[in-house]
Amino acid sequence: MARDLPVEDPLVRMQRDLKRALQKNPKDLKWGMVIDIAKCIGCHACTIGCVAENKLPPGVVYRVVLEEETGRYPYVGRRFVPRPCLHCQNPPCTKACPVTATWQTEQGVVIVDYNRCIGCRYCLVACPYAARTSDFGEWYTAETAELPGKLYGQKAAANGYEAHPAAEYGRKWPDRDHDSPVGNARKCHFCLHRLKVGMLPACTTSCVGRATIFGDRTDPNSLVYETIGSPRVFVLKEELGTRPSVYYLK
Amino acid sequence: MNEKLFRTLLGISILGLLIGTGGLINFFIHGKSTLALGSYIPWGLWVSLYTFFLGLTAGAFLITILTYVFRIKVFYGIGPLAAFTVVVVIICEIIIITLDLGHPVRMYRLLITPGFKSMIFWMVVFTMAMLIIYILETYYLLREEIIHWSQDPGIKNRKIYQSLALGRTAYTEEDRQQDQRRVRLLSLLSIPVGLFFYGSNGAVFAVLLNRPIWNSTLTPLLFIISALVSGGALIVLLTFMFKRDDNVIHLLGLTIRFLLVVMLILEFLHFFISYQWDVVYIVAALDLVLYGPYWWNFWIVHIAVGSLLPLYLMIFYPYNSRLLAWACFLIVFTFIAFRLNFVIPDQAVYKLEGLDASYFHDRLRTAYVPNLTEWLVSLWVISLGLLAFLLGARWLPVIQAGRGEEEHV
Repeated sequence: MARDLPVEDPLVRMQRDLKRALQKNPKDLKWGMVIDIAKCIGCHACTIGCVAENKLPPGVVYRVVLEEETGRYPYVGRRFVPRPCLHCQNPPCTKACPVTATWQTEQGVVIVDYNRCIGCRYCLVACPYAARTSDFGEWYTAETAELPGKLYGQKAAANGYEAHPAAEYGRKWPDRDHDSPVGNARKCHFCLHRLKVGMLPACTTSCVGRATIFGDRTDPNSLVYETIGSPRVFVLKEELGTRPSVYYLK
Repeated sequence: MNEKLFRTLLGISILGLLIGTGGLINFFIHGKSTLALGSYIPWGLWVSLYTFFLGLTAGAFLITILTYVFRIKVFYGIGPLAAFTVVVVIICEIIIITLDLGHPVRMYRLLITPGFKSMIFWMVVFTMAMLIIYILETYYLLREEIIHWSQDPGIKNRKIYQSLALGRTAYTEEDRQQDQRRVRLLSLLSIPVGLFFYGSNGAVFAVLLNRPIWNSTLTPLLFIISALVSGGALIVLLTFMFKRDDNVIHLLGLTIRFLLVVMLILEFLHFFISYQWDVVYIVAALDLVLYGPYWWNFWIVHIAVGSLLPLYLMIFYPYNSRLLAWACFLIVFTFIAFRLNFVIPDQAVYKLEGLDASYFHDRLRTAYVPNLTEWLVSLWVISLGLLAFLLGARWLPVIQAGRGEEEHV
């Protein structure tokens, strides 16, 4: 019985894979992700982990968990499909951008330059997976009372958390006002700022079922490479020819 | 145009501007959060209005080509009016789409980091090209009258015309011939530019993957035909109001009647073919147009009031200018419904199963109804266009310049 249990937590192996990947020439690595639907319990921890990591404002979300019903009564089932940006190898969104504010890096990650984006939202309509959201400049604390004499008013609450954006793309962004990323298209970037310092993406570390596997998909020794080889593997909307870097296991 | 009608329209445009300013101020203070848009329906009323304006330019585009390239005499009288209409409508188009951007100040990025693969980039290029062509064309068409007015002591605000005349005090026969050559050259140039202009706008929608209504090869064609219908109708309306010429109205009425039938056939084919595919998300989007909560927008506003009634008037009263003008008014007025039916329902279908229940927020919904701010800003832009047109028609020689052109050809 004990022999059936995993010998090590997949996170430990992924961490080791990541360390090895970061030692490679950046040109030779391609990030990839595999999501094992059979292991996903629909806890939405990855969504929350992502929102917290990137301090996403209301209405902006990078990774949602889709809930699908399968079968016909009485033989019905329910499955959960986490959907980050799929970082397509043939991305329709980058071609749509009129100012080349979004592109695919050498490591295969589709990113957005917030300071270049004009906010036309064409990439949002171009993405067949609805993986991009627009930042309309909303605040969680907008409805917070602002009464004189109270310790935690609207401004105090905002300044305590959401006025200061997360260091997405490893950069310091100005306090939240009308400047970028407000008005921009926003999307999952595989937590590049975390990868840079040797940490796995927030969705991967927060996955309680270890359903999310991340790593260098060109490294034959990595867990992600091994998992992509599974006969259970599939991608979303394969017929569109977008060739996602995020794979799923049935 | 009689003074009473002019003053009424002037009053309406100023009132519209004043009312619309409230929405504009709200928008400038609070930004994009004042809009009803979301991430699943990121394009709403303003993009629909943009495509509406785009359509309105097409009629004038057709007229200027017929007049100055093919030299069809009957349209000479309305040539300058048509060219001026294109300028005003394109400016309205640029204003509304600029307001829709998250960071309009960064428009300069189109010059320094252009995305050549993007249809929006080409749309902007051809829009600017059309604007430049039509500003120059309008100027050369009006130059003779402007120079005359600048020298006429009886004309008010002569200094404005003197500055517009760029120092010229006399207009010779040689100048006239040179300006006519320039206008003809610009009109010739506007043919390929204009076709790419309308085509690239249709392609902005048509090239997108996984879009049930937009992603069709019929889309650019439907864009061009529908643009000619609405644009032609606008020209009939303007001709009736500003420079009544029954021959022009009757001829254009016949053309619009034909184009309207073609448009309805194309639209039917678009629906018919898409239904034949029997793909769930395509059928869902089409059902939303035909039987959704805004079915009346399609059946009553677009089909009944905007198509069948004008068609009835144009078929049974082909030589009644007043009724033809009314028919064209109905086409123009209801054309926004056609555009809304094209832009919104396509986005109002979730792209992935379960997306609606995955993360709750108003900005992550496929239900969209333009809010007051969006309507007020739209009213402001339309009123601005109307005001610019009325003042231009009054203070620039767009009506007078068309006189006697036949003699020069």
